[in-house]
Amino acid sequence: MVDALREVHRVLAARGILVDARPDSRVLAYAEGRRARGFQRFGEVKTSRFAIAIDRASDLAIGRVVRERLFKRKRRGRFWHRVPFDSLGDLRQYLSEHLRFVHRAKWVVEAATRRRYTNGQFVIRRAVRYEILVPSPRSRRALVPSVVAAAHAKHSE
Amino acid sequence: MSGDAEGLIGDVGRHVPAMSATLRPRPLDELQAWGGVELVRGKRVLDLGCGDGRFALAVAAFASTVEGLDPDPEAIAAAKKAARRSGVRNVRFAVGAAQRLPYPDGALDVVILSWTL
Repeated sequence: MVDALREVHRVLAARGILVDARPDSRVLAYAEGRRARGFQRFGEVKTSRFAIAIDRASDLAIGRVVRERLFKRKRRGRFWHRVPFDSLGDLRQYLSEHLRFVHRAKWVVEAATRRRYTNGQFVIRRAVRYEILVPSPRSRRALVPSVVAAAHAKHSE
Repeated sequence: MSGDAEGLIGDVGRHVPAMSATLRPRPLDELQAWGGVELVRGKRVLDLGCGDGRFALAVAAFASTVEGLDPDPEAIAAAKKAARRSGVRNVRFAVGAAQRLPYPDGALDVVILSWTL
């Protein structure tokens, strides 16, 4: 990931921008039923350990290139996205296949309520985070790996 | 999104792999959340990890040029097909890895990692 971000820094123009957007595993997703006036929360959906580990690695990669002064953080934010389903069964099927989420929601309504609305429309509402980064002028520190590589090449000749 | 369209997407969710791009936010909604089309207007854009090209094709209407890069040849074939079908001419798709970008230094104004990193 860090290698890819270094490449991005190389191809970006001096006043360019990098946008990193991905699901936000730091907040819960929600299973909601659609109602005439909005949505009713039916349950909470946690992110799988696998996805949390990947997100953590991505965060570390971004943190590293910021520390290396390749990029500067400019702006960040979060928005919510709803994935619609025709029934509660469809939502459950989706969860059972999805890699990002644990396969079962933690319901916050009674089983009778779920049965009552089982054929209603449902959504999973999940957070998406984004961050805008701008390339820093190539710092001496950023150039160090290439300088070291050149020195090694010269030494081996 | 219309009720019919949402219904269709809900149905897709039953049959396709759960990571399908169809289940992601609409590209222009995502772009709006980041700051609007001004972010890409008249710019040279790279959609890194473009998959089937949905995002690249959506921003092509505003950008000067759009490059789409993805390591999956099947996804790139689908993206090229979608570009031909939609008649978009300022988008190029290529198979490649993010670790070795096939572009010269400083060649791009905006790089987008949308659900990629």
